[in-house]
Amino acid sequence: MYDAIYIEKAGKPTVTFAFEHFLNDAMSAASSKGMPVVRVVPETIVSESTVVADIEKAITAVFDDAVAALTKPLTVEEKSPKPREQENPPRIVFKGSLEDVNRFFYQRGWTDGLPIIPPTEAAVAEMLTGTDLPADHVVVELEPRRGKATVEKIAINAVMAGCLPTYMPLLIAGVECLSDNPVSGMMAASTGSFSPFWLINGPIAKDINARATYGATSPGDIANATIGRALGLLTKNMRGIRKQIEDMGVLGNPGKYSWVAAENEEYSPFESQHVERGLNKEDSAITLTFPQSFQQMMPFGTDAKGLLATVIGSIVPARMGQFILLLTPTNARSCADAGWTKKAIKDYIVKNAVVPEDYFERLGIDGSRAFDRGTGSGPGGTRDIFRPSQRDPDPVQVFVYGGFGSWMGFAQGGPPPVTRKVELPKDWTKLVAKYKNIVPNYFRY
Amino acid sequence: MMSADNTDTVYEVLSPWSEADPIPLQGLSPRVDGLAGKKIGLLCNNKRAAPVILDVAERLLKEKYPTAETSYFHARTFSVSSLELDRKDEFDDWLKGLDAVIASVGD
Repeated sequence: MYDAIYIEKAGKPTVTFAFEHFLNDAMSAASSKGMPVVRVVPETIVSESTVVADIEKAITAVFDDAVAALTKPLTVEEKSPKPREQENPPRIVFKGSLEDVNRFFYQRGWTDGLPIIPPTEAAVAEMLTGTDLPADHVVVELEPRRGKATVEKIAINAVMAGCLPTYMPLLIAGVECLSDNPVSGMMAASTGSFSPFWLINGPIAKDINARATYGATSPGDIANATIGRALGLLTKNMRGIRKQIEDMGVLGNPGKYSWVAAENEEYSPFESQHVERGLNKEDSAITLTFPQSFQQMMPFGTDAKGLLATVIGSIVPARMGQFILLLTPTNARSCADAGWTKKAIKDYIVKNAVVPEDYFERLGIDGSRAFDRGTGSGPGGTRDIFRPSQRDPDPVQVFVYGGFGSWMGFAQGGPPPVTRKVELPKDWTKLVAKYKNIVPNYFRY
Repeated sequence: MMSADNTDTVYEVLSPWSEADPIPLQGLSPRVDGLAGKKIGLLCNNKRAAPVILDVAERLLKEKYPTAETSYFHARTFSVSSLELDRKDEFDDWLKGLDAVIASVGD
């Protein structure tokens, strides 16, 4: 819709065909760009359809509506939309029991469906001890709604998610990551159900007990469970990307609840992700990627040859965007011991991930066009699956996390990673001491 | 979590919904008085249904308005105006020669 608005602002009447289920999304996008009334013709073509007969029928059915949208005189509201008033919500938005608060927040569309911790003044004040920034400091405005990500609003959503105050520096840096990436709003709203995947690096990971080892991305650790959750709540409550209103993910993605790992720097033989991206090892950092899928494979063999062959053998042509190889420290060590660097692994994947010669012919599919419209990679005119491009010069990443084992994995999809250094408050050591011992103590049975 | 102990406690809670400053609103451009003899731009983004949709629209347009001209612009991304800043001049030049635009976003 952004192009339609740009064109209208340039003085040219415009009409846009859009799938009838996407009208809310289209109107929210238009409104966020200052044009709350745009002319959209709803049609019945589902997203990404390639069925020409369906498209023919659908456009024929509404073509006269498109003509009318370009020729029918404007209404008063279309000529001059009424200005919006400044929002002035009460500071205390609700009073009630735990159950009432949860019901109220859920019904307002402010939660992810799980129960929340009530964000009281006291709880938010405690959360704010995790940063030296003032509560009213606007970290960024988040597209598409341009909601102000104030430190206090970040803290409120963090309380709701169950975060500890020591996560605030990561959440603030995470919000900056969301703002840095110009397409992250589109990723969060996309039919492709892309999910933010947050990788934590540096000393902060141990300070907050962010899990880097066994089951790093499974439930069970407050940090991993709530940091992603809080950033997911922020996506709703700041960006204004809500399910089936603006977030039109078709299948959905469980990663949107919380998908967080710390890199296993202690046992990784490779330079860590944040160092690779220009920061110092002593820095703490958070990296945002937006994969849509996650796959785990048992390797053909656990030596470097077997591991890398498994990667290549598992990449299929019907894919898009970034490819993140997920190695356990064991697998990473096997590769390193055989002389493989991270860069060499990346280069190997780019070079050897090719579409088998008879693949499309056997399937009866036209393989003449690049499949990955985001990066330009894909089958297209050559057999290369990955094609480094100006937009994505480094399409393969290697993350090392998890326990000691042979299973390997990858995450696929989305734009290049964004990394932000985490700024810690002055009394960080004291703060860490206060919260670091909050860990599960499992008893034997 | 929601035990009987909690039912007596009243929580006063803050809103998680962030404020957004109102932005200046703009109305639509005046419409054209008809499509006969007009030059109509066909803008498709990089979603694969978009060009097919516009091919059908172009055919119907020319059937109904044989004197209308058409001109395509193929975005390389979801949005040429916000993501393809290197093509801004090219896009603006394309727009200048048009009377109206039919866009397809492929969604």
